[in-house]
Amino acid sequence: MAETTLSTQSAPQIVRRAGMFRGRDRAIKIFIAATVIPMVLYMAFWSLFPILWGFSLSLFEYSARRAGAGGFLGMGGANPYVGLQHYRAMLDFSSEAPKIVKQFHQSLKTTLLFAFLVVPLNLIITLPLAVMLDSIHRRLQPFFRTFFFLPIVTASVGVAIMWGFIYHPQLGLLNGILTAISGKMVAIQWLGDPHLKVLGVPVALLAVIAAYLWQDIGYNTLIFIAALQNIPQSLRDAAKVDGVNSLQMFWHVTIPLLRPTILLAAVLTMISAFQVFDIIQVMTNGGPQDQTRVLVIDIYYNAFRFQRMGWASAVAVVLFFLVLVISLIQTRLLRTEWEY
Amino acid sequence: MATIARSAPPRRPVPWGRILAYTILIPAALVALTPFVWMILSSFKTAAEIRQMPPTFFPQAPTLDNYRTIFQDKDLPLAVFYKNSAIIAVANVAQVLFTSSLFGYIFAKFQFRGKQPIFWFIMATMMIPMQVTMIPGYLILTKLRLLNKLIALIIPSAIDAFGIFLFRQFALSIPNELIEAARIDGASEFRIYRSIVLQQLKPALATFGMLTFMFNWNAYLWPLIVLTEKSKRTLPIILVWYTTKNSVQEHLTLAASVLVVLPILIVFLLSQKWIVRGITLTGIK
Repeated sequence: MAETTLSTQSAPQIVRRAGMFRGRDRAIKIFIAATVIPMVLYMAFWSLFPILWGFSLSLFEYSARRAGAGGFLGMGGANPYVGLQHYRAMLDFSSEAPKIVKQFHQSLKTTLLFAFLVVPLNLIITLPLAVMLDSIHRRLQPFFRTFFFLPIVTASVGVAIMWGFIYHPQLGLLNGILTAISGKMVAIQWLGDPHLKVLGVPVALLAVIAAYLWQDIGYNTLIFIAALQNIPQSLRDAAKVDGVNSLQMFWHVTIPLLRPTILLAAVLTMISAFQVFDIIQVMTNGGPQDQTRVLVIDIYYNAFRFQRMGWASAVAVVLFFLVLVISLIQTRLLRTEWEY
Repeated sequence: MATIARSAPPRRPVPWGRILAYTILIPAALVALTPFVWMILSSFKTAAEIRQMPPTFFPQAPTLDNYRTIFQDKDLPLAVFYKNSAIIAVANVAQVLFTSSLFGYIFAKFQFRGKQPIFWFIMATMMIPMQVTMIPGYLILTKLRLLNKLIALIIPSAIDAFGIFLFRQFALSIPNELIEAARIDGASEFRIYRSIVLQQLKPALATFGMLTFMFNWNAYLWPLIVLTEKSKRTLPIILVWYTTKNSVQEHLTLAASVLVVLPILIVFLLSQKWIVRGITLTGIK
């Protein structure tokens, strides 16, 4: 196509060249205007507006179904402005606090517990896994990598159903294996018994974490393998000449060199753990007795089942601040990382 | 080197690290695969065998009845849901690749008024969790009467902040001479984008396209909110609906899970190279 345009140009083209640059500037201006203006309008409507609306909603008692709401976008009128009342209510830690406040506290606690268990467990598994995958014969690496790649690309809903079946008290593989090992019938309700706890952590939450980790470890493993392959071979050779064994190599060469990658992976893992929903909603729906209720479950049910959209927005704002704090810590840490 | 006399060939040290790696990796790989294998095997078991205690691992009398029941179930026209999922995923890939590459290129190679604030706004939106905007997003779609329409899962996601960021990084490395030369040849600006810039961004397009497809295909929460009418649902929501409805008929729900989860895994497996590249490049989930 480009060639045909060129060949059709003839002598007058040289004449036009003189004025061409001004024409070009105009063409560029038109191009920018024709693309950037629609983008800005689009972003204003589908991005800025929902963000501002989302924050504003948290200051209202809001239900989309309330008839004759009036006011701006249904805010005001039948959906009254309540200022910071939702946020103040969140700080009510007394035993007389309303149920939704207690559920919020429970969700916040569970989310933090979930994230702070997932991140270290993830790194403890993925770092050695990546080092091992990197150390085996080159030609076998893609084969082994596939096993840890498959769970990542599986729909989390599918993961939840598979694992829900594994944990099934009567039909599940886990109790089946335990029965075979112990020789007597085991029927533990992994996802349904609120009294089961290990070191104060509900077993249902641990069971959900196991399924979540199973799906999630592939990401960081892949990221770490890529980072390992960037370590110059000369560094490892030098360490080997010095008589360093595999374990020392891992602690004193690999880990320090991967520090920025590990930090970044930890932060990304934590941010996505704060936003966990699919696996928990399908496996336990927040139960038993709200023991696996996390913030996004809390937001979803309040907003779309109970029409408490103002309250749900306030919970979402809390989630936003959690993510923000972690991101800010990350930028701080990474900056100091680069200083030397 | 050859002058160094050796009485025996150099003895290689025993690769203990590698041996250890294999002894751990082989069982770990099997554990990683077990849930899939058990789900597939169990989907061929009879209803009676599924309910047998303790459970069996291999089906004792393999049967296709579960699959037959599902294909005959008028409540579960899988083809419809496959079509819904495919429309949404493909449309999103197409539009996100177009906008990300176009605006990534513009932010990388052009100067215009307001460029910095616009770019930083786009970057800042990445910090906002989707849960903050999903309630207003739902309200907007309600007002526009777009709920329960597939287009509701396409229109609001036409611009991807992360995509713009990623493509800007790639576009920065396109040589300016290439663009200038095309200008001197008289190519229009859009033509330059279409035939030169896109050409240069091909690897990024493949990588990001696969990630976007995967993300949309597996998405659950947002479709769950927007598509409440059964015939409009995507595969993940319909699978959960079916599993909940038939919660005591595991032989059927497992076969349904296999039909929903597995076929696309083969596609992902074949595109593994691009997906892995995407993940290691971006770190996104």
